[in-house]
Amino acid sequence: MESEVKIKSKKDKYKILEKSDDLYNCSRCGTCLAYCPIYKQTLNESFSPRGKMSLLEAINKGRLEYTDKISEKLFTCTTCNLCKGECPSGVKLDEMINVAKSDLIDAGKYPEVLDILKARIKQAYNITFDSNAGRFDWVKPLPESSPEKYVKKKADVVYFVGCVSSFSPRSFGIPRSIVQDLDSAKVDYTLLGEEEWCCGFPLINSGIKDVIGDLAKHNIEAVKSKNAKLLVLSCPSCYHTWKHEYQKYSDEKIDFEILHISQYLLRLIKEGKIKLNSLSGKVTYHDPCDLGRNSGIYEEPREVIKSIPGLDFVDLASNRKLSNCCGGGGNLESVNQALASKIALAKADEIISTGADIVVTSCQQCNRTIDSSLKKKKKETNTKIKVMDLPELVLQSVKGEEI
Amino acid sequence: MEKNYIPELEQIVNPEDVITSFEERLTYSYDSTRLEYMPDVVVKVQTAEQVSRIMKLANDYKIPVTPRGAATGLSGGCLCVNGGISLVMVEMNKILDINPIDLLATVEAGVITENVGKAVEHLNLFYPPDPGSMKSSTIGGNIAENAGGLRGLKYGVTKDYVNSIEIVLPTGEIVNMGSNTVKAVTGYNLVDLICGSEGTLGIITKATLGLLPVPADRVSILAFFKDMTDAAKTVRDIVAEGVITATLEIVDKVTINAIEDFLKIGLDRTVGAMLLIEVDGQKGAVEIEADIVLKVCKSNNALSVREAKSAQERDKLWEARRAALSSLSRIRPSTILEDATVQRSKMVDLINAVNEIAQKYKMMIGTFGHAGDGNLHPTILTDLRIPEEAEKTEKVIEEIFKATIALGGTLSGEHGIGITKAQYLKLELSRPVYDLMGKIKSAFDPNNILNPEKMKCIWSA
Repeated sequence: MESEVKIKSKKDKYKILEKSDDLYNCSRCGTCLAYCPIYKQTLNESFSPRGKMSLLEAINKGRLEYTDKISEKLFTCTTCNLCKGECPSGVKLDEMINVAKSDLIDAGKYPEVLDILKARIKQAYNITFDSNAGRFDWVKPLPESSPEKYVKKKADVVYFVGCVSSFSPRSFGIPRSIVQDLDSAKVDYTLLGEEEWCCGFPLINSGIKDVIGDLAKHNIEAVKSKNAKLLVLSCPSCYHTWKHEYQKYSDEKIDFEILHISQYLLRLIKEGKIKLNSLSGKVTYHDPCDLGRNSGIYEEPREVIKSIPGLDFVDLASNRKLSNCCGGGGNLESVNQALASKIALAKADEIISTGADIVVTSCQQCNRTIDSSLKKKKKETNTKIKVMDLPELVLQSVKGEEI
Repeated sequence: MEKNYIPELEQIVNPEDVITSFEERLTYSYDSTRLEYMPDVVVKVQTAEQVSRIMKLANDYKIPVTPRGAATGLSGGCLCVNGGISLVMVEMNKILDINPIDLLATVEAGVITENVGKAVEHLNLFYPPDPGSMKSSTIGGNIAENAGGLRGLKYGVTKDYVNSIEIVLPTGEIVNMGSNTVKAVTGYNLVDLICGSEGTLGIITKATLGLLPVPADRVSILAFFKDMTDAAKTVRDIVAEGVITATLEIVDKVTINAIEDFLKIGLDRTVGAMLLIEVDGQKGAVEIEADIVLKVCKSNNALSVREAKSAQERDKLWEARRAALSSLSRIRPSTILEDATVQRSKMVDLINAVNEIAQKYKMMIGTFGHAGDGNLHPTILTDLRIPEEAEKTEKVIEEIFKATIALGGTLSGEHGIGITKAQYLKLELSRPVYDLMGKIKSAFDPNNILNPEKMKCIWSA
């Protein structure tokens, strides 16, 4: 009897119950089937955006409870948001799915990996179990690697590295290139070092909203303590969270400018502070979901590439707001690795078909996923395409070294 | 009824392709009508042999079977009205053969419409039918519903491109119909009977489709008029001048305002109608035809006319038309899209009739559509969750149908009858014709298990 009351009281709290009108907006037209990477790989309607909306509407109307199966469907999503952009009825698919994830967290039905992730972030302030003191181990091979050079008391610019680039050796090339790019432009910058905490994106993106406030407050204060006028980020998800989410979760006011590294590099190039030398090759560009569709930054990375003399630029068949997800979004890899890999291979095919020598992206996650899938394709297609992050390409041009 | 047929289904297809959970079945209960009917089981198939065995099983157990493509239909064709098996065709999605000499493509039924065109574009060929849902819809669904599209006036509809098909009969036999020759008069024209049969006579598993060479040149023209009458006269005169345009789309004032609200692209809200016209063909010929179109627009008092030759400019002109339905759908929670169709010469009468009905019931109706075909899409904006509105909507639909029939038109140009228009079928079909359809159905499907209830009219006075 008691458990019944308990369930009922929880059910009353479900936020999806307040979304009747939003859910009714979905006309079940099926446009999303043409875009959803999950549906395209599974051909299973229950994973499609409109399928998810029908399940949530059933819960909203009291026909269904949140079940493990629904949890599986809702968390099987790259959060690439292509469905929302192309929805003719303007359904807020991202918001609905996120609200449902929050409900599922409340209902205790969510992938176990989220508990681990939350514990890591609460204990170590990053997404690994490593001490946050290791935040700038990646500087070690650089000629000048003293902490004093990189972590100053005050600076004009703060570079927020992000957890993946700070701790995953495979991504170290990105921050190493960025500091050298900034050095070449003689920018007065600093890292936050140990005071850089996870931005909170992996949690809010999974519907966990109770930690983000503390992370936001800490991070905003940390940047302010440097008297910085500008915050630069290389991770599109960190950028999105800082730019579009932080002020929803923290009263601590952001009084500095926030730029993604692609925007800042373009500014430095235009101001003549970064000097580019000629390179050769055919280059294509992959729009990361959190940078392009979810933050509206499409042209700056392209302008940076096009400002390097000698490069031949070609767009992917699906680009800008129609960019296909690399498969690395939304924790999908930890929920369903095989599916994430299929999406990544489809992306690799699209990249290979451009005939480019280099695929540039501006996200450490996309970079890693695309690199892996291109390697898997190597045997079959003999592809020699190289994956580079935008700051890496810029550094190559600054140094004038052929790729 | 005992439902112990599930283990037998699991013998026919992979066990994971037999879906029974409530949650997953729910996501196979709807289509674009937004109506819901729960299947008892969802089965995903990969081969015609599997479909055949399932149909034999279904006959043994007398279980209804309803084939389902991408479920983008607008008349309920794939809904499991009597429960039973939802037979999902989307995994039969292989393009089997492309024959550029005979201009043919052979594809499995679950191939996405747009992918047929993509597979042949490198050969400078195209597959002309272009239903609005072509990015998601399947060829099998298109054939079953005889889907139309924007290019109907010049290029016809799906049935005009289906040369031969492989279908599984309701009784389980796998049969081939039609011929891949240009001409064929051997036996009844069964392919045309299956096209538009809404999945009631057989399950399409494979089709050989006709292709055409991509026209060398194309010009788009956008023209605005003070009212729908001037626009409709323009449509009539263009054809009368001997120009068969690839597309000839009309958009009314309500829809123009909805598009402007949504896109804010600077459309003039005071205009009463918009025409979007595209001519294609050989270079030179296209210029001559475009000139005629421009002249006809001007002689019918077009307020402004714009011409676009490059792909980029064309894209811009199309922006407004493409956004018509999504713009209307943002105004009210429910969007009821009809496809009443009349002869081109009666289009103005139908438009006027729809406007009168809208005023009479104080309902908002935006009208756009394929003016060259007389195929209009009066779109009723309502909220079906409110009982009075739902009732009023029902009356409006019935009046639009009655007006269409009175003008010598037809209930549906391209969306089908399904369950949403079944009750109006007797407005158009005579009793003997209706009875004949019943006999055809029984000849194909003696146990009435394949997609029951679709196109079914209860013949009462």
